[in-house]
Amino acid sequence: MAEAAAKGIVRSVSSKQGTQREYESVIILRPSTGKPEIAALIERMQGMFGDYGATLIKIDSWGTRILAFPIRHERKGIYLYWRFLGGSDIVAEFERLMGLSDKVIRFYTIKIDDDVDPEARPSEVTDELLEAASDPGPDPEEVARQAAEAEAARQAEEAAAAKAAAEAERKPHDDDGSDGDSADSAAQESDA
Amino acid sequence: MSDDIRDRGDRGDRGDRGDRGDRGDRGDRGGRDGGSSRRKRFAMVAEKNLVLDYKNPQLLKNFLSDRGKIVPARISGLSARQQRQLTKAIKRARMLALLPYTSG
Repeated sequence: MAEAAAKGIVRSVSSKQGTQREYESVIILRPSTGKPEIAALIERMQGMFGDYGATLIKIDSWGTRILAFPIRHERKGIYLYWRFLGGSDIVAEFERLMGLSDKVIRFYTIKIDDDVDPEARPSEVTDELLEAASDPGPDPEEVARQAAEAEAARQAEEAAAAKAAAEAERKPHDDDGSDGDSADSAAQESDA
Repeated sequence: MSDDIRDRGDRGDRGDRGDRGDRGDRGDRGGRDGGSSRRKRFAMVAEKNLVLDYKNPQLLKNFLSDRGKIVPARISGLSARQQRQLTKAIKRARMLALLPYTSG
């Protein structure tokens, strides 16, 4: 009981009484992680936040992204952004649990603000937000491939249209005879 | 004025070479000051309230060289404070594999 009461307290002489600290954390999950697994992870973390008297203010999925370099042999990762209020012990516990999970390949926590009044910062977390956050999003490589295909198709279409237009233009041009040609060459000379 | 002359005289006592070096330095600095007003800056630096945050890797990418190195403020035209924010943001983004440590 005493231990539970001690949880969520800011153990620092420099912080004001009755305040919490605001942290933001980004974690990278393996791209193979499914939606239910992410939802389970978020639920587990919310349980932990409850135990420690902390609150999850915001959670946001940045979707699946290609990593700048491989982490644990993964080339892609699902980014999940968390923002929470709590004591300084919340970070240690959060990172301990992240380290235990084999789905999490990277986590990074930053303190945004000291001495935040927890009453003044209500949680923005709703069911829809949780639902959206647990969505891994589309594969960026797949999206890029589709975009490239669409672009190629568009370019092919444009090229075909340009060719048809050029052909249509050439026909009346031929009818003009040599006069048009001489005018063209004169224009070129003046340009030079 | 008389102080100046005495000062110069003192330096002359120390040695001609040092004196010449001093003068040369002064001349150089004057030249560079004239050039600084024409210093080219990155286009996005001109933007007011530029926020350099690790969550915006697309912006930070502009301040990396082809090899993934952080571009010096002398080139990008950032203020010292902004350059400190920039290095912090880039290093954070690198931790999260949003930006490369090295490339090319």
